[in-house]
Amino acid sequence: MSPTLRRASWRFLLRHPTQSLLALVGIALGVAGAVAIALANGSATRAFAATTDAVAGRATHQITAGPAGLPDELPARLVRQLGPGRVAPIVEGRVTTRLPTGGRRALQLLGIDPFSEAPFRPQFSSGGDEGSALPGLNRLVTAGDTAVLAAATAAELGVGVGERLEIEFAGRTRSLEIVALLDSPDPGGRQALADLLVLDLAGAQETLDRVGRLDRIDLRLDGSEGDIAALLPPDARVESAAARSRTLDEMTRAFRFNLTALSYLAVFCGAFLIYNATTFAVVQRRRLLGMLRALGVTRREILALVLGEAAVLGLVGSALGLALGTWLAQGLVVLVTRTINDLYFNLTVRGAGLDAPSLALGLALGLGATLLAALPPALEASAVAPGVALARSSLETKARRGVTRAAGLGALLGAVGAVLLLLPSRNLPLAFAGFFATVLGAALLVPGATVLLLRWFGPVLPLLGTRGRLAARGVVTSLSRTGVALAALTVAVAVTVGVGVMIASFRQAVVHWLEGALVAEIYVSPPGGRPGEATVVPAALTALAADPAVAEVSLLRHGFVTSEHGPLRLLASDLAASSRDSWRLVAGDREPLWSALEAGAVAIAAPFAYRSGLGVGDVLRLPTRTGPRDFPIVGIFEDYSADRGAVLISREVYRRLWGDDGVSAVGIDLVADADAEVVVGRLRAATAPFQALDVRSTGTLKRGSLQVFDRTFAVTAVLRAIAGLVAFVGVVSALGALALDRARELGVLRALGLTPGELGGLVTVQSGLLGLIAGLFSLPLGMLLAAIMVHVINRRSFGWSLELVLPFEVLAQALLLAFGAALLAGLQPAWKMAHTSPALALREE
Amino acid sequence: MRILGLATLLALTLGCRPPASEAPVERVAEALRGSGGAGFARAIAPREFTFPADHGPHEDFEVEWWYFTGHLATAEGERFGYQLTFFRRALVPPDAPPETPARSSAWATRQVYLGHFALADIDGGRFYFSERLGRGAVGLAEARAEPFRVAVAEWSAETSGPAAEPTGLLPLRLQAKDGDVALDLTLALDKPLVLHGDRGLSRKGGGTGAASYYYSFPRLTTTGEVSRGASRFGVTGQSWLDREWSSGSLAADQVGWDWFSIQLDDRRELMLFELRSRDGRPETTTRAGTLVAADGSVRAFEPPAGALEVLDHWTSPRTGARYPARWSWRLPELGLDLEVVPLLAEQELDLGFRYWEGAVAVAGTSHGAPIRGRGYVELTGYGGKAHPGR
Repeated sequence: MSPTLRRASWRFLLRHPTQSLLALVGIALGVAGAVAIALANGSATRAFAATTDAVAGRATHQITAGPAGLPDELPARLVRQLGPGRVAPIVEGRVTTRLPTGGRRALQLLGIDPFSEAPFRPQFSSGGDEGSALPGLNRLVTAGDTAVLAAATAAELGVGVGERLEIEFAGRTRSLEIVALLDSPDPGGRQALADLLVLDLAGAQETLDRVGRLDRIDLRLDGSEGDIAALLPPDARVESAAARSRTLDEMTRAFRFNLTALSYLAVFCGAFLIYNATTFAVVQRRRLLGMLRALGVTRREILALVLGEAAVLGLVGSALGLALGTWLAQGLVVLVTRTINDLYFNLTVRGAGLDAPSLALGLALGLGATLLAALPPALEASAVAPGVALARSSLETKARRGVTRAAGLGALLGAVGAVLLLLPSRNLPLAFAGFFATVLGAALLVPGATVLLLRWFGPVLPLLGTRGRLAARGVVTSLSRTGVALAALTVAVAVTVGVGVMIASFRQAVVHWLEGALVAEIYVSPPGGRPGEATVVPAALTALAADPAVAEVSLLRHGFVTSEHGPLRLLASDLAASSRDSWRLVAGDREPLWSALEAGAVAIAAPFAYRSGLGVGDVLRLPTRTGPRDFPIVGIFEDYSADRGAVLISREVYRRLWGDDGVSAVGIDLVADADAEVVVGRLRAATAPFQALDVRSTGTLKRGSLQVFDRTFAVTAVLRAIAGLVAFVGVVSALGALALDRARELGVLRALGLTPGELGGLVTVQSGLLGLIAGLFSLPLGMLLAAIMVHVINRRSFGWSLELVLPFEVLAQALLLAFGAALLAGLQPAWKMAHTSPALALREE
Repeated sequence: MRILGLATLLALTLGCRPPASEAPVERVAEALRGSGGAGFARAIAPREFTFPADHGPHEDFEVEWWYFTGHLATAEGERFGYQLTFFRRALVPPDAPPETPARSSAWATRQVYLGHFALADIDGGRFYFSERLGRGAVGLAEARAEPFRVAVAEWSAETSGPAAEPTGLLPLRLQAKDGDVALDLTLALDKPLVLHGDRGLSRKGGGTGAASYYYSFPRLTTTGEVSRGASRFGVTGQSWLDREWSSGSLAADQVGWDWFSIQLDDRRELMLFELRSRDGRPETTTRAGTLVAADGSVRAFEPPAGALEVLDHWTSPRTGARYPARWSWRLPELGLDLEVVPLLAEQELDLGFRYWEGAVAVAGTSHGAPIRGRGYVELTGYGGKAHPGR
């Protein structure tokens, strides 16, 4: 491109700073959202991998235990069979400690046999400084209350070697002496060590009340060992370490994919802004472009000029987006991690690290969307005939023809989307492809729908007076401009509607489910830990049952088994009569359910049924202590507590088959006239000598559960807010451009005698009308998007089935957002138009 | 007499960082001196040995071992030397404060066991060595007196039948395997148990408690099988079992030792050691020996200064460590003049720490008449890497 052309570009951008700025902001916001999610996801994934590495070490396989754990004697048997360096037993758990600053910190307690560790996790058997190793090791092995810790973590916790660290597990406090600190020369190693509390296996068993049982045994196998399964208890399972981490990774993949896809919506909206800004830039310079062509500038050069301008905007906007996204990621990573912790497994992530792929992705998205969005107007610009400044009217005629074409394309895209969504598949990316096709199709349909809408409502418009008529006609006559603005606004608002409706539907389902699931009046469970890890000690159980206000108790045990369908949570239940009816069955008979369970049948959670394809009448094969066993499935129940497999089973059957007597939670029915809150206090006091239990009334528990729910959707809400922000910027930009574009027309109106006030009013009314139209369009589109998200994407991602609800406030918000943004956007041009002298306005261009 | 730096060995086996230079290694060795025996029972005075109880562990003492060495041969005359050692080490003294709460885990222990296994294929010129480590709990490693068993990981030595001698130990079955090198031997009584030093109290220096309790079975008839690669060999031969336990028996300036166990063809046995001090002067060197007559009668003696002369050296191509490699013992008091020659130069164990422990041939004169024999020699303190400390 010649310097002259470049200067022309530059001067144009400078003369219309608002438009360029808004496009920048739009693309920056979109990229920021996408980059932030990519970085947050990336950090979570890396932290997960690092933790997995640290904890799995160089194991090739691991033996995972059934609910009763693995016996103490198993490692020695395996060592005799497999030889040296192949076997490392592990006991692990989640404990918490108080920070000097007052907060709490969760630590991963890892119990190891240091004499088995060298081939697996050499870092856990060496000292930070030579010479300090063995004193620490001696104490670590020979005293039950000693631990080693990463130096950085120790510093954060404010403990040093020789000092004691108070930890809590299952409501009981333990004091551990820190006998040595671990360090790693590289950041990856430090990340892996972070928040690990390493104990000798004996001390770990004692600290976690798990004497006599091991949680897993790491193995290093090379394939020459033959069948080691014969040595194992029947409910134990050998898995390759790779398969294990793959399973864990897959657990969160749908979640992360959803976030990524949602974050792209903001980029999508940002692309509309670019399209808008570029179109504006082209329309405004029709004459200039025509002259340039006449002066010998080639089509290719014009194309390069327009695309170059867009590229500059895209590049600067993306760069801003990267910076903003990096900043945003620091907050998002906390939300993402918290959600993973709430839904899947424990993960500790300290801040979002930067990674080149995520940043490159953001840049590519920003630049790609920009260039793609700028291409149509750029092609149009390059098609301008030499010397001819296309009359505005002919441009609009062309635009109206385009409306039909766009509508046709939109309908086609919509059909493609529908087909993609209706395909009987569980493929998630396919669902999102359908989703985006639908969104794009709808956007293309918007201008046509606007024409139709105004035609139908044409007869009503005179009621608004001349100004109303003028405003309405203006919308249609400048469709080349308004069409894009409307489409952008509609899509952006619809996205916020869709996400809002989806969250509301979800929340509603959870509320309903909680109503049904929480029928006892008081719930008791040990605090912290992974579900099922901590148990209520027998003495505390006795104390609970002894309270005079306690009528009946329900006992629940979370037992984890690894089946052919992956890890499953067994809800081993011994329910009071009142609680037995509370399971909301999706399929199967409620009546014989309980007796069937007591006879050894199971009911499975709906998400698991969806995922596994199992239904009532099928059998579920589970590894028990006496070997694999087939359980008839007699029911499917709703469960929103996790998207992994959950299986309802009688606690009696569970105890018999897995030899696990633990109790993870207790539900308490009270006698008729008892005051739940009073009894809560009494039970807390009665159990305190044995265990600091969480004793909560049903109301408190429900509130807590919904808090977790809201937390889970906090990331989604952030993305929704970003999309809304981009929509807002889009409206401001589109309407601003529209007003500028019509400066001459408005000048004519001024010259014809309209007062500045009347003119301002006209612009405002027209803006408002656009907002209203977009708002109206966005409601059905938003509901459609919500339906897709709820019935297709959610189901495929998590297996949850929900009913769509129509939350009034979400719909109202949408209208308000569209209308409000439009009005606001109209203010500045209205003021400017009203205060421009007609002569000046007429001299425009 | 083999007081090995078990602590050092443990630490390094556990995977300490490889030393960047010699200096940190010395620091490790220093640090790993640990209690130096403080808090543990000490070998101060002769004691009454009680068998079979004393074949089992003495957990009040810091270190202890069951040390088997022997010469084997096939019917075709192929020769092998072997070493199978079980070390026990107490990580903390028995009077260390009791932990609260009391230990309930079966994994809780204060004892760690270490095994060393070496096979010298003398005619094939190959030397194999490996080690095992395990805590004295949940079957990973253990030692007990009745019925006798000592084991670490998959290696073990245990009484294999009804007791065939008064102390209740023999016959013993030894099993060890590492990769495709294995041994499965049965040891039976040939000559009875011998107490070294003063009724089993073996002095290592001048100070109080600078001693160990030390007894041996100096000649055990051995039969069994040795495997190396795809080949299995039926073998017979003679073994020597050393039993020793102590706490902090070596002084800080004692840097290493040369130890000899010799089985003479006239059915006499000889145990000899020399503890070297840092300054290397004869008057700071501790020497001791035991001569077992053909009839089993025992005579403890102190070899004179200069009785041991090193005739040659060998430098390990693997580690660069330089070891003595041929010796002469002149023991005029016993009428013995012996030359000791390694059957294989390369019998260095490069494990957690380095030492040379190898099969040797013995030739010389007894009161002027030619005599031959076989033996095992252990050389410590030459390895450079991780001075065995104590």
